[in-house]
Amino acid sequence: MKRAVHLADSRTGCVWCPDWPVIAARRHADAIGADDLRGRPVVVRERVGSRDLVRCASADARAMGITRGMRRREAEARCPEAVCVDADEANEARTFEVVARAIEAFTPRVVLERPGRCEFATRGPSRYFGGDDALAARVRARVVEVLGPDGDDVRVGIADGVFTARLAARRSVVIPAGGSAEFVAPWPVSVLDDDELAGLLVRLGLPTLGAVAALAPDAVLARFGAPGRRIHDLARGLDPGPPVFVVPPPDLVERTELDPPAERVDIAMFAAKELADRLLERAAERGLACTRVVVVAETEHGERLMRCWSHARSEYGDALTPAVLAERVRWQLDAWITTGETTAGIAVLTLIPDEVVPADGRQLGFWGGDRVAYERADRALARVQGMLGYDAVTTAVVQGGRTPAEQVRWVPWGELREPDRPLAIGAEIAAWPGALPPPFPARVFDPPVPAELVDEQGVAISVNGRGEQRGTPARVRCRALPAGGGPVRAWAGPWAHDVRWWDARERRRCARWQLVVDDVACIVVVEGGRAGIEAIYD
Amino acid sequence: MFDIFEPVVAAISPSLPQRGEHAVAQLRAAATRAAPAVAAGDRLIPIAGPIGRHLPAGGLRRGSTVALDGPPGAGSTTVAFQLAAATTSAGEWAAVVDPDATLGARAAAEAGVVLERCAVVRRVPPDRWPAVVSALIDGVSFVVATVPPNLRPGDARRLTARARQRATVLVALGGWPAEAVLRICAHGRDWSGLAAGEGLLANATLDVRVEGTAVRAPVRVARVV
Repeated sequence: MKRAVHLADSRTGCVWCPDWPVIAARRHADAIGADDLRGRPVVVRERVGSRDLVRCASADARAMGITRGMRRREAEARCPEAVCVDADEANEARTFEVVARAIEAFTPRVVLERPGRCEFATRGPSRYFGGDDALAARVRARVVEVLGPDGDDVRVGIADGVFTARLAARRSVVIPAGGSAEFVAPWPVSVLDDDELAGLLVRLGLPTLGAVAALAPDAVLARFGAPGRRIHDLARGLDPGPPVFVVPPPDLVERTELDPPAERVDIAMFAAKELADRLLERAAERGLACTRVVVVAETEHGERLMRCWSHARSEYGDALTPAVLAERVRWQLDAWITTGETTAGIAVLTLIPDEVVPADGRQLGFWGGDRVAYERADRALARVQGMLGYDAVTTAVVQGGRTPAEQVRWVPWGELREPDRPLAIGAEIAAWPGALPPPFPARVFDPPVPAELVDEQGVAISVNGRGEQRGTPARVRCRALPAGGGPVRAWAGPWAHDVRWWDARERRRCARWQLVVDDVACIVVVEGGRAGIEAIYD
Repeated sequence: MFDIFEPVVAAISPSLPQRGEHAVAQLRAAATRAAPAVAAGDRLIPIAGPIGRHLPAGGLRRGSTVALDGPPGAGSTTVAFQLAAATTSAGEWAAVVDPDATLGARAAAEAGVVLERCAVVRRVPPDRWPAVVSALIDGVSFVVATVPPNLRPGDARRLTARARQRATVLVALGGWPAEAVLRICAHGRDWSGLAAGEGLLANATLDVRVEGTAVRAPVRVARVV
């Protein structure tokens, strides 16, 4: 159990690269030779629920008034020349690998917390390099060297604990031992990374950490419970301590051999997900939760790579969940494989719990109920994934789109169920011009099944540039219909679609009909002079 | 259970004050009410909606195999959605085996299927089909599987037996080459709302025939809106 080992003179260093998503996007664009993102304002956007928000903006974009969490549309209005790119966390983690490796030259114990920020224990290296100031300067110089022009704003801070070190990194300062309480006192409560709590504290007249620290500990505990006690400790500069090496409980270590060795991330990922589930499940059986895990990969050629990941809010006692842990393992494997650190396939994968805390605040279903059923289903579905491949087992997410095929996204089992295009924004259903209203077809063919749509004389129906049809649909022939087709009894359309007319490469022009052929209702699409059945109302 | 304990209690403590007959009767009544009288395997999954009215006892018995058939466009998928909707909305897990990857999930959601509890296995090669369905029967309580052509009757019978053993409902969509507790056949639909050149599909009636082999259910032809 953690909180155990506190080395008296151990301290924590924190390296922070502000705007890492922007830096990662720029480096990625350079690497693949895409449109140049250098010297232009860049906005990285992400989808939160159904909203499209700014995740990060470059310094020049921020100067135009773009802030984090702003709606993308508003950001575009404020700075029309900004380039908008999608957030890609895997890429952010991959590009951050060079920074982690640079810091590893000073200390073997680097803890990644999220791409852009990592911590390390400074006790040994400080002594070797002549003090914390010298170490901070050296680490910064090294990181700036590997990042080149992107490294201008790299900040390194050193302090007693993780939380204070992060704040110190914002100012790029070294806080002397025992100076944490004094240093954190003037910071606003918003740095606690919990908007709801920060808002409440401000309303209670406690705008700074110093004000929180001045409260009596038992009063804080009575009002806010265990989380309150934690923030009270942080505000007083007593944080859980630096990342020190604790010998993990050896029986909690999860290890698996991959045979044949995995050369692609998705294959290794399948094993990794199972490993993550098992590790946390077994820890949970003992009433423990993991906040920090070491990922170790060994390749066929005997290379041994390891990296430590912590939960982004580990200092508040938030534990890793299977999905969060699996995602971090994926980033790490991806980084190792794509940056060429592995010269052969990954043969052995190990997850070592590095810091465990008593599990609290997780409610199991009464008598196991739902959870048991979920676990049983999860095991069976993982087995089918093993038989057919990771992508074969999916769940459907309904999303916005014009055609029945576009309106559904198939998410592999175990991944986050999020639509590509939101169906509704707030309470408002997004309008997709040309989308057919309910009822929806029960069978959807993607791509459409080739068919013939002809008029009374047997001439194929075509649509002119204005979206008007020549002739009236009279017969459909298609192998997807019973008896190979038949006469059209009722029809509506055509609805002409000119999709993405602004993009020469992706532009599609097509026309759709809703038809009843014999007794079968279907949707027929004509594109480029060819007809096809897109869906059947089965 | 009370019958076992009563003589023992009486033997040990003949001198203890006797409870009144009334209290004993009340206890017995409470015990019969509280006892799990039905084993899990015998329980019925109630099916709401129009299809349920035409099923024997208004639902599907756990562990039973249902053969669901009909030409394309006749409504067999819609029937399967209604059965899956009743199961998933009761908190159970369902799986759909969809070898051709043609399932319209939007229609499933419209029918009431809870999509996050409904796994869809897409593009299953015919030779792996029995193994996949068998694995799913182990894990979820409702499996809808589109039957590949040329399925061996032996494999089909093995799956039926496995479903019975695991108390899972197996709905075989398409020609099922083995016995089934229920056979539901969709005959065709009668669409309204669409005319020559105008309107939009609005709703349809659905003709189904329900035949029971294991249960003594009459053959019915029903018109389901």
